[in-house]
Amino acid sequence: MKKQNETAKLAVPKRGPSRPAKVTIRKLPTGVRGLDDILGGGILEFSMNIIGGAPGCGKTTMAHQIAFANSTLERPALYFTVLGEPVLKMLRYQQQFSFFDESKVGGAVRYVNLSDVALKRDLNAVLEEIIAQVKAANAGVVVVDSFRTLARRASGERSDAEVQSFIHRLSQFLTSWEATTFLVGEYADEEIHDNSLFTMVDGIFWLTQMSERNSVVRKLQIIKLRGQETVPGLHTVRIGDGGLQAFSRTLGLISSSTKLARRRYLSTGVPDLDKMMGGGILEGDSLLVAGPSGTGKSALATQFIAEGLRRGESGIMAIFEERPEGYKRRAATFGLNLKAAEQKGRLETLYLRPLDLSVDETMQEILDAIERVGAKRLVIDSLVGFEMALAPGFRADFRESLYRMIGALTGAGITILSTVEVEDTFTGLPFSHYAISFLTDDIIRLRYVEIDGQLRKVMVVIKMRGSNHSKDIREYVITSKGVVVIHPRRTDYNGLTTGIPTQTGPRKAQMDEASPEPKAKR
Amino acid sequence: MRTLAKRLMAYERPGDRSSGTTSPGAFYFNERLRPHLATLYGTAGYRSLLSHALVLADAEVPWLREMHMKADGSLEGLEALEAHLDPDEILEGKIALLSELLGSLVAYIGPSLTKHMVGDVWPQISLNRADFCDGGEK
Repeated sequence: MKKQNETAKLAVPKRGPSRPAKVTIRKLPTGVRGLDDILGGGILEFSMNIIGGAPGCGKTTMAHQIAFANSTLERPALYFTVLGEPVLKMLRYQQQFSFFDESKVGGAVRYVNLSDVALKRDLNAVLEEIIAQVKAANAGVVVVDSFRTLARRASGERSDAEVQSFIHRLSQFLTSWEATTFLVGEYADEEIHDNSLFTMVDGIFWLTQMSERNSVVRKLQIIKLRGQETVPGLHTVRIGDGGLQAFSRTLGLISSSTKLARRRYLSTGVPDLDKMMGGGILEGDSLLVAGPSGTGKSALATQFIAEGLRRGESGIMAIFEERPEGYKRRAATFGLNLKAAEQKGRLETLYLRPLDLSVDETMQEILDAIERVGAKRLVIDSLVGFEMALAPGFRADFRESLYRMIGALTGAGITILSTVEVEDTFTGLPFSHYAISFLTDDIIRLRYVEIDGQLRKVMVVIKMRGSNHSKDIREYVITSKGVVVIHPRRTDYNGLTTGIPTQTGPRKAQMDEASPEPKAKR
Repeated sequence: MRTLAKRLMAYERPGDRSSGTTSPGAFYFNERLRPHLATLYGTAGYRSLLSHALVLADAEVPWLREMHMKADGSLEGLEALEAHLDPDEILEGKIALLSELLGSLVAYIGPSLTKHMVGDVWPQISLNRADFCDGGEK
């Protein structure tokens, strides 16, 4: 019995205090917006990293952002330059960025030119100089730019083993002195496999630049990061006034995903449509409104947002085709005062037609706005306009990125209404030229039909994921109240979905209608 | 920039305790700036800056043409001219050279960073950003 107990003790893994505590590795902020999310929180303290890639990708700027974000007078950042961009030029250009704090230069951020030592002496002398400077300054962050130039210069005279030895000793020293190091260099992709430097370092930050048609796309990949999980894949990078900004493929939304305990039905602002949808849109759903031009997609989107505002739910309207003023004027004709909501900070209208933005940047704009106003409802009007607003190089990624954003936002409980323009055919009822089922939970299709010598409008709920809905095809008009469903389903016509229905019931007497659908003023 | 150069030179004049200088025959301001800028820019980089400043300044002060720049960026040749030059002429040449050198720095890295850098080299001097702004007498 005693033996059995002992065996049982061995079988149960020990927990809690008996296990040696893991070392806590502090994560340093990069100073690059979006990059900390990609890195899983930041750069691991005392690590040695490479910032590599082709010229013009933003390597030096990234290194500067890290240096400025992590430097103090007590633990300064030492920026060693070697046979590359001269410091005066670096200072000239880097000071243009908003992260560049002039008051830190010479104190918290110190530049040291190693060109003379590298040119006149050998790697040992370079190492000695670095060691002397790091010791004297008690540096917390060390940047060597360009490390490749230094290694190449050395390898011309010395063997690869000498270079490896140099890197090893440098790494040992800087780690011992508790410095976090960044080696900046212009490397080609294929060098990652052949150059032992890449094996020795803890992290590899890889920047690339691709051009497609007239647009240039910068990407960042974390090829390696010891001891920490990162967001995999290629992330878009933009260089703007604030320096580099990275756009995580997950848009930083993984951690914000929250399950709604109980999902409510949200009103669309069109009572009869709510009934057709079985009570409205389920909170956290993505609804697609598809229809040809002039069928009232934007009107419906406006009503959806206005209804949310009326119920105390803030909203974002990301519009890509129509100008915001036109949107607001139309809303006013429906009796919806969007301007007042904007002034109160409960609504933001984003007008995004930049033509060279990446899909991730555009989505970041939307996400920032959602965070600013605490939005519960989002309108994207329209998906076609959204895609057209992107630089050509990003359009290939559009659906994938949209999928990620919609999935993440709806997962966080935000309800999305997107519109898409489709061309009406008279043989079928296409929903979209996109493969949309993976993008949306619910689909409403608007279309024109010819009835009694008039071109009228009908709507049908195609799909409501996870709930029942009406199968009726209902006629609607756009009046001064917006979209209004006017008739019960028609039983006297067949083939309404084709747009050219066939009358099957008795012909009703037609009233003279001078203007059956007063057009909303814009 | 010239006004600032004059102020800085006041700290380099004979008998000034703060700089410890005693002879007009040396470019003390160059000896102060050289290690600082060479650390940033490399010796070759500093030599380029100084040679450019010399070319610009010798148009105004011809005796500067007689100066020879050594490999480390220091200047020599003034001792030989001292007997023929008035001390004020020597001072004028130094001011012109320093003024051009600072002007180049301002052109490269702007007034704020230049002020910061000069402040590191001459910590005892109170500096204003206006001292480094364009439009002043060079």
